[in-house]
Parts: sequence; C-alpha cells; structure tokens
Amino acid sequence: MAMIERTEWYDLLRATNWTPKYVTEDELFPEEMSGHRGIPIEDWETYDEPYKVTYPEYVEIQREKDAGAYSVKAALARDKFLERADPGWISILQAHYGALALAEYGAIVGEARMARFSKAPGNRNMATFGMMDETRHAQLQLFFPHANCKLDRKWDWAHKALHTNEWAALAGRHFFEDIIHSRDAISMGIMLTFAFETGFTNMQFLGLAADAAEAGDHTFSSLISSIQTDESRHAQQGGPMVKLLVEKGMKADAQRLIDIAFWRSWKLFSVLTGPMMDYYTPMEHRSQSFKEFMQEWIVGQFERSILDMGLDKPWYWDQFLRDLDETHHGMHLGVWYWRPTVWWNPRAGVNPDEREWLEEKYPGWNDTFGKCWDVIIDNLVNDRVEQTLPETLPLVCNMSNIPIVGTPADGWNVKDYPLKYKDRLYHFGSEPDRWCFEQEPERYADHLSFVDRFLAGMMEPMDLSGALKYMSLAPGEIGEDAYGLAWADIYKEMAHKKAG
Amino acid sequence: MSESPEVLKPLKTWSHLAKNRRRPSEYEITSVRLHTSMNNPDKPWEMDTNLHMNQWYLKYRNHSPLRLEDWDTYRDPDAIVYRTYNIMQDGQETYVKSLLDQFNEREHDKAIDTEWVGKLAILYTPARYVFHALQMSSAYLAQIAPASTITNCSTFQGADSHRWLTHTAYRTYELSLTHPDAGFGQNERKHWEEDEAWQGFRELTEKAMIAWDWGESFCAINLVLKPAVEAAILHQLGEAGRHSSDTLLGMLCDNQCRDSERHMRWSKALVELALENSENKAVLTDWMDKWMPLGINAVEKYCAALPDSAEAISNAKAALEKSRENLGV
Repeated sequence: MAMIERTEWYDLLRATNWTPKYVTEDELFPEEMSGHRGIPIEDWETYDEPYKVTYPEYVEIQREKDAGAYSVKAALARDKFLERADPGWISILQAHYGALALAEYGAIVGEARMARFSKAPGNRNMATFGMMDETRHAQLQLFFPHANCKLDRKWDWAHKALHTNEWAALAGRHFFEDIIHSRDAISMGIMLTFAFETGFTNMQFLGLAADAAEAGDHTFSSLISSIQTDESRHAQQGGPMVKLLVEKGMKADAQRLIDIAFWRSWKLFSVLTGPMMDYYTPMEHRSQSFKEFMQEWIVGQFERSILDMGLDKPWYWDQFLRDLDETHHGMHLGVWYWRPTVWWNPRAGVNPDEREWLEEKYPGWNDTFGKCWDVIIDNLVNDRVEQTLPETLPLVCNMSNIPIVGTPADGWNVKDYPLKYKDRLYHFGSEPDRWCFEQEPERYADHLSFVDRFLAGMMEPMDLSGALKYMSLAPGEIGEDAYGLAWADIYKEMAHKKAG
Repeated sequence: MSESPEVLKPLKTWSHLAKNRRRPSEYEITSVRLHTSMNNPDKPWEMDTNLHMNQWYLKYRNHSPLRLEDWDTYRDPDAIVYRTYNIMQDGQETYVKSLLDQFNEREHDKAIDTEWVGKLAILYTPARYVFHALQMSSAYLAQIAPASTITNCSTFQGADSHRWLTHTAYRTYELSLTHPDAGFGQNERKHWEEDEAWQGFRELTEKAMIAWDWGESFCAINLVLKPAVEAAILHQLGEAGRHSSDTLLGMLCDNQCRDSERHMRWSKALVELALENSENKAVLTDWMDKWMPLGINAVEKYCAALPDSAEAISNAKAALEKSRENLGV
C-alpha cells in the first residue's frame, strides 16, 4: 500500500502542546506531579524520543509478539516441563512472578504519570505505549503462572504476593513506590526508565532468559525475552530528560535521582536475582554467575550510558563493585535460613561441587560465607534441623527493607549504619542506604520496616507464628528447603565415611 | 507452625477468584485486583504518610465523594485484555490503512471543493489537540482509578485517543500535500487557541483536565467531554463531510466511533456499579449538572461553524442529552 512514510508526519503527533486560557499552565501541569522544574515548556518540546513508534506499528508488532509468546506456551503446555524441572527452578519462577507481576502492573501508574504530566509531547506519546507495555507484562506474567495454580498453593502468590505484608513483598513495594508511584513524571522517568529499566531489567529478563533456555524452560525464556523487547524500547524515555536537565544546569538533580534509584535497584536485585542465578539455578544450567551478568549488563553498559549523558558514576561505585562479590551471598544465606518467611522454597545450592563453583567465581567464598554453611551443614548432618530455622527476626534496613547483611567469618564486615532523625533511630544496611534516606528524610520518615512493625506490636502473637500470620503465610505457602534437605545427605555420607 | 495443622490445598485459580463458581476467564485472571495501593486505606504508598503523593491519592481517590465498598467488583463489559486489544485494533488499522490507500489512489483530496478544504483546516485537523487531551486525561484516570479493571479501560481508551490523533496527524500531512496553501500542519494550534468554534471544547477540556477527584474526572471526561466529542466531531463533522463529498472523513469518523461506543459501554457499566450505592446518585448528578452546560456550550459553538449548522447543533445537543439520559444521572 502506498502509505506516506512515518517520518513525514511524525512531528505532527508531537505538536500537541497549547497555551491554556481557562486554567493556568501551572494548574494544568502542577510541579509536584509534573516535575518540569521551571524549565520552559518550549524547551520540553525539544524532547526527542530516541525510539519512535506509531499506533498502527505498535498494535501490529505487539500482536505478533503476543502471538509468538502465547503459541510457545500453548505448544509446550503438554510438555509438562514443571513436572521434571529442578525444584530450584520452580522456586525461581514462583519468586519471579510474585515479585514482578503486580510490580509491572504498578509501573502503569508511572507511565501514566508521564503520559499526563510530562510537558514533553513526545514523552507523553511514548508513555502511552509504555502504559500498554506494562499492561502486557502484568497480564502475561499473571496468565502464564495461573495455569500452575492447581499444582501447588505457592503459585497463588504470583497474584497474591504484593498484596501481602510478606517482608520481601514489602521491600519490593517500598522500592517501586519510591522510584515510581510517589514521584513526579520527570523524576520517575529518570529513576524508573533510565536508572532501573536500562540496566536491571536486562539482568532479570535477558540474563534469566539465558538460564531458562539452558534449563529447558523455553516457555519462560521466550516470555521474558519478549518482555525485554518492550522494556528496551520504553526504557529510552529517561535519556532525553537527563540530557535536558544537564543542559539546564541541573546535573546534580539528575545525578541524585539516578544514584538513589540505582542503589535501591541493586539492593533489590541482590536479594531477588542474585540467589536465583548463583544458588537456585542448577549448576549445569548457569550460563554466567550473577556477578558476571552484573559486570556485563550493569558495570559495562550502564556505566557507559551514564558517562555518555555527561553524568558521573555514582559516588559509591567502588563500594558497589566490591559488593558484587558479597551482598547477594549474605542475602541468600538469610533467605534460606528464614525460609518459612518466603513464598517459594529456597534452594541451598551448596553441594561440594557447587561450593567449588562458588569458590571459583567468588574467591574466598569458603572462608567466609562457606563457614556459615559449614555450621548449617553440621547441624543437618547431626539431625539438628531446628537449629537451621529461625526463632527471631533479622535486623532490617529502613531503606531497602531487606536484612542488614555483610561478610561473615574471615571477612567480617557486618555493620549497622544508624541515623537519628527527629528522635527516631533508623537502621541502614550500608552507607549508600543511609545516604538515600538523608536526601529527603520526610519522604520516608514515618515508614515502619517489618521489624519496626513487629516491635510496635503489630504482629500477634509476638513470635514467628505471629509474624507469619501478619505476612499472610500459611502452611502450604510458607517456604521450605527446595529438596526437603535431601541435599545434605551427601555430607552425611562424607561424615559417615570419615567416622568409619 | 505446628499450631496450624491445616495445610492449604492447591486451588484451580487465584485464591481471590476461587469462591466464584464459574471457571475464570482470561480477562478475570489477568485484570482483577491488581492495584496494591488500595489495601491500606490510610496510606496508598509505602512512604511517609504526609508525602505529597500519599496526600494526593488520599484526597482525590480514597476520600472521593464517589464511594463504593469494593471498586474491584467492576468489570469491563467488553472484557478486553491487552492481547485481544491488539488483535482487534490491528484489524481496525488494517481497515483504516486500506481506506487511506484507496482514497489516495482515487485522488480524493483533489476532488474536494475549496470551501470544504477551508472547513477541514479549521474544524478537523485542529482536533488533534482535543484528541491528545483525551489521551492525557485517560492517562490520569488510569493512574488514579481505584480498581485495576477501571485502570485497564482507561489505558485502552488512552491508546484509542492516540489512535485518533494519529489518523488526524496523517490526514493533516496528506491534505497539506494537495492543498499547500490551506495552512494544514501550520495553523492548527492557532485555530484551537483562537477560533470561536473550538473555544467551548477548549474551555471544557482545560477545566476537565484539572478535575483531580477521580470520580469527577471520570464524569467530566468520560460522561461529558467524550460524548460531546463524539456528538459534534465524530458524528456531525463526519456527516458534514459526507455532504461535501468527503466520504473518507465520514468513514474515518465512523471507525473512531467504534472506539467511542466501546468507551461509553465501559463508562455506563461504571456508572451502574457506582449507583449500587444510592448515595452516589446525588454525587454524580451534581457533577453532571456542573459539567453538562460546558458540554452543551462546546457542541453549540463547534457545530455553529459547520455547514447546515442549525441542524448540526440540534442533533449534537440532542445526542449529548440523550447520552446523559441513558446514564440515569
């Protein structure tokens, strides 16, 4: 058909700002929702979205993508992959869907904020497609796991998790609601699309897709790599915002938003994606270690993209690079130990050959994290399972809302970073977490972490059973060791041989 | 854990749908109860209670005078999900592309008379502003709605509004090729801001865009502005096109009406649900009383500029009033 090329008429799609007469411009774009920062509207009109798509192109491409993802699901439905999948892999799926399906849905609010309140017409159009994309991601990531509800009650958490006060769900909400829902359109555009989606979604949706393909889960692999094709498009909305802020002498503002969002994203991934990649994925299916993925997608690509924008690496960059060797091992240890408090079954992932792999990827692992596992293994070998289960709660960070961890044993560096603000003592897991709080204390001040709530008497009775009730976790939903502790048998045999 | 011996059994669907007797549809599985910010009535977001955005959502959503115990019971009568939306609209776009292509091949734009070309420049192509305003307003409703099923309808409505903007932008450029001196692609903003025909719509649009209460926003945009756009632009302008040998415009408007009628179906369903709480009748009626005069003013001013204006005005006003009557508020 002889249709006119998009480039000829595309600009008319963006010629949509007008001067209001019956209300004021400030009423139409309130600063607290819009975040225009006093930059004149004409300057916002120079915003040029790097990725351009029109409505007819969008509905055609997306229809085709969905046809692909749904047909893979349909074709493989009879394959019953889950029946032969490693229990660790099933835990990955349950953790992933629970943490992300409704978070993706929540991202609609952020895209909608740009679509309504951004003064840049091109941004408003792309965000309209962004709203559609996030609808897609939520619906796909609800529809796919729903088919598994009949297998195990934990699958219910794909929908349920973020509605609960389960600690990881609470941490997820605190993070997403900080960088998305409670920010103006421009801050949110920079924090969500530029700082989070540019790098971190690659980790979750491409890194994990590689592992999924290795593990033979082609349904999940094709699903999440298809999602990433949308992410990589709408993630580009933040770039031109950063560029404009830098041009207008507001580099420090952009830098601060990115530094907060980047650190917070990293902490969330250290508890979610790190354990999945280095412990839950069966060793033979790991395409790279978590650290290697991080180095490729975050350190390599993201670092380049921030420098290209004229920004600096976040001030804590060296610490971040060091933490790549450490944080997620501590998180994993904590999640496994507190396994009744999650909606999936953590896989320990510390068989002798796995420990060898960990030592190779993270030199020194055996002398640090390995020593904690030695104690756990010793307890399991000697049938003291109760000593591998929690009776209390961990100290939780008032920013990341996840446990405060560090390196144990020979590399001991576990430390609380406290801060007194208006007569309340807050606890943080790191200097950057505390720094995030200090940037805008009133944004976070009256929020109670999971442990704060426990201490405030919001959980009855005041023990683990009360905490589980508060988290809406009942037997059948609460996490157990992915193999029912059978992985420790090899250590029992070893101990036997040694004794014999 | 030994205190609670009962182990939860797997269910056939999400626990929140399990009590329903019918097997859930794809729509229900993927659309219902997805907003988590309604769970704590005093604090929408996990941030400080006094944070601006928490206060905004408390004021304009949680404390709206439009109240219902559970907005999550709302269902889109068309039960559209993302996947079916794209199938449906890709089909419609294929149709529109073929319309544009066929009329282009027949040199349609050369055949329309000069007087109508002038009308198009003033009354048609500036519509991209009002269409874009609908896109923006739908995005507001999507972010402030108290139920995911309402957000989804608003999201699709926003995309549809962008669809109308896209058709209009395309036609604006195409008309400019045949009629380079008529101001296509040049003067739309001026007409929108200055031409008397648009001032009613502009006033209604601007004021409706800052009606922040979610219920009032829905009322002003979906129950007044959108029906006014449908009555005056999609119907009366389209009809005037047919009488001025601009069949293409009539057919384009008809196609957009398919979207508009779907929007009215979901809007009517939401009004019906709201009326399950009898106190909402007065709330909605007050809002309609406030916004309808602006709607009537918009269609009157706009239709007054159409050929056969007297008939256009009375038809558009009657359509707008009928639309309200059908809503029962």
